[in-house]
Amino acid sequence: MTKILAGDLDTHVQRLPPTIPVDGEAPVVVFIHGLLTDSLASYYFTLGPAFAAAGVDVVMYDLRGHGKSDRPATGYHLERFVADLVALLDALEITRPVHLVGNSFGGSIAFGLAAAHPERVATVIAIEAEPPVQAWTVRMAEGLDLAKSQLTQDAVIDWIAVNNGKHTARLSRAAGRLLQVTSMLEDIPVSDTIADDLSAIRCPVLAIFGADSGLSRQVPYFESYLSSCRTVVLPDQGHSVLIERTDETRDAILGWVRDHALGRVG
Amino acid sequence: MSVETTAPVTEAAVLNEIAGMLRVLLDEYGLDDVEITRDTKFHEDLELESIDLVSLSADLKERYGNEVNFAEFIAGFDLEEIIAMTVGQLVDHVVVSLRAAARG
Repeated sequence: MTKILAGDLDTHVQRLPPTIPVDGEAPVVVFIHGLLTDSLASYYFTLGPAFAAAGVDVVMYDLRGHGKSDRPATGYHLERFVADLVALLDALEITRPVHLVGNSFGGSIAFGLAAAHPERVATVIAIEAEPPVQAWTVRMAEGLDLAKSQLTQDAVIDWIAVNNGKHTARLSRAAGRLLQVTSMLEDIPVSDTIADDLSAIRCPVLAIFGADSGLSRQVPYFESYLSSCRTVVLPDQGHSVLIERTDETRDAILGWVRDHALGRVG
Repeated sequence: MSVETTAPVTEAAVLNEIAGMLRVLLDEYGLDDVEITRDTKFHEDLELESIDLVSLSADLKERYGNEVNFAEFIAGFDLEEIIAMTVGQLVDHVVVSLRAAARG
């Protein structure tokens, strides 16, 4: 297993170098997974290998508290996740701007980094994600409260096992535990936020949504406030865009990275 | 690093090596005396999560080099199929890959 010390956090990283020759420097794409039941596995078994095969330098990592990275009891404000990512890029000696792919909460981290350190970010690719504005903290508080009350009940876990399979049930139980043993539920809703006019986000943004997920309602908001934005809405699709619509997601992001890369991508 | 190709690649040897990698993984969870056979399922029997299979994949790459491409092998599977996989399926893939590489 590949673990590196990034800041004060022992971080599980999987890096896939490009598997084809690239003119100049390969674009670096950092993949950021979502909260609670998620880990870098969601990228490792979907987009990661395809990006390396297309000439991308792929960085996937487990967020604090998740997968095989450290799980401190406290320190789960969005800005801590952002600082972890900066520390990771520093530890990997990646100094040029990177493309950030963020799924769900991972997208909020990507927006957070683009706002805090614009010099580190080439573009943001947000899959089913919200920028960390004030309203986002309210929705996160509600969602995390609900998750904690539900995922710590055996009856709910049993229901998930029947309806979504045992693997999801086990991940859900682990998610409930994560909310019990860390301050995530308390920390995330009081995270630093950015202004509603999204003026802090100055890099190009590709936003991918499922049409049936409530998050796709943000499309007009993104298009009117972000200075450079492309949106993709996948019909008949809910929140699980990355897992259920992997091929379309891969093609949209690879095309975007090609359009925004200095080096040629195969 | 790549596997020595002078010795014939046997299923038993590969199973033994993969079982060793799995025992190291399981040891992290305090499980150190699990029987591992061809029919053992990664998720159902060993309670491994998808993130554990990432670790296993990295171990395979370290042991067998690029001749065994686990990521490519599972590219056609969805996540549920990946976790439903048996140890035997993986052993067969490794054996086939190594024999193909040995033939050049």
